[in-house]
Amino acid sequence: MHTVDSLTRAELGERLAGPGIHLRTGRFTTLLRSPIGSVADGIHLLYGAYPLQAGGFADFHLDLVRPASPRRWLRPQVTLLYDGRSLFKPLPLDQAFPMFEWGLNWCVSSRANRYLIVHAAVIEKGGRAAILPAPPGSGKSTLCAALVGRGGWRLLSDELTLLRLDDGMIHPLPRPISLKNASIGVIRDYVPGSVMSRAVTDTVKGTVSHVRAPPDSVSRAADTAAPAWVVFPRYEAGAAMTAEPLARADTFMQLAQNCFNYSLLGADGFAALAGLVDKSQGCRFRYGALDDALAYFDGLP
Amino acid sequence: MGLCWRLVPGQALRHRGWDTDCVLYNDLSGDTHLLSGEAMALLLALRDGDVTADELAAPELADLLASLRGLDLIEPC
Repeated sequence: MHTVDSLTRAELGERLAGPGIHLRTGRFTTLLRSPIGSVADGIHLLYGAYPLQAGGFADFHLDLVRPASPRRWLRPQVTLLYDGRSLFKPLPLDQAFPMFEWGLNWCVSSRANRYLIVHAAVIEKGGRAAILPAPPGSGKSTLCAALVGRGGWRLLSDELTLLRLDDGMIHPLPRPISLKNASIGVIRDYVPGSVMSRAVTDTVKGTVSHVRAPPDSVSRAADTAAPAWVVFPRYEAGAAMTAEPLARADTFMQLAQNCFNYSLLGADGFAALAGLVDKSQGCRFRYGALDDALAYFDGLP
Repeated sequence: MGLCWRLVPGQALRHRGWDTDCVLYNDLSGDTHLLSGEAMALLLALRDGDVTADELAAPELADLLASLRGLDLIEPC
């Protein structure tokens, strides 16, 4: 199967503006079409190692287009179409690539209900996965980027933990890591050589940039991992590192609150989450320095 | 003689316990409840008929029974 980097930037742009590309990310195939240059730039920069499917079925059909309204002459915008329909408010054109990332997250989190989906980063080492659920602003993605960039962990996802309902294994969805605001500079300094998309300012999340997933993580997108740890991270500037064990029942309840489709799955979701908690140690983790955090994760039993 | 209590029909009492606490799936509301081990034991006893009316009438159980009723797990009969 070809990968995105088999196409030159110009060829990629032509394909995106024409028939589109069947982009494979983990278990999902997206038929993506867009004539917008910044979308092609972002795909070219960050998705080079991802397989391109030669047509056929796609789980998601996404178009990023410029809406034809009078506003386009004043403040150009971008609209995301899902199956040809606009479900979201248009954004400034400059945000077209982040909109693709957010739109693909939405596709998976709202449609992939054969998995229990936790809003959490997830990384793997030695076949065992550490799940990092946390609300925005907790430093989850920054920590995730540091752990996969320097800590020797494999990226399964920085946003969506996909727990298979039938066997309790975690299915990878390695995609670019989303960083915001000060985290962009932190990771640029901490993980030299990181490949990052152009920082886009004034989004609803502030300034955002995406970091390319390590090629090894992308090539191992079919290798599942068993859950072993659930770590609720919280970054506090200057704070000493603490790791407070969390009772399993509390771990369960906090995880349930971080799921996209726990209620939708009903008793199946309950059973899947209980199985995850059976296998995992939970803790609340506070850190103020990435070096300390990496040392802690390195010592997980 | 106090009230008689029973499980609300349809509650399968799917639960998982760790250490002293349990989580319970509410089949009727779809909610998940965090319960003490004692509360879970009382629910299982009600299901299995292992608790007497006199025990259920004990004042010490009044608050617990009221909270379980509030979750639509049990009802008077």
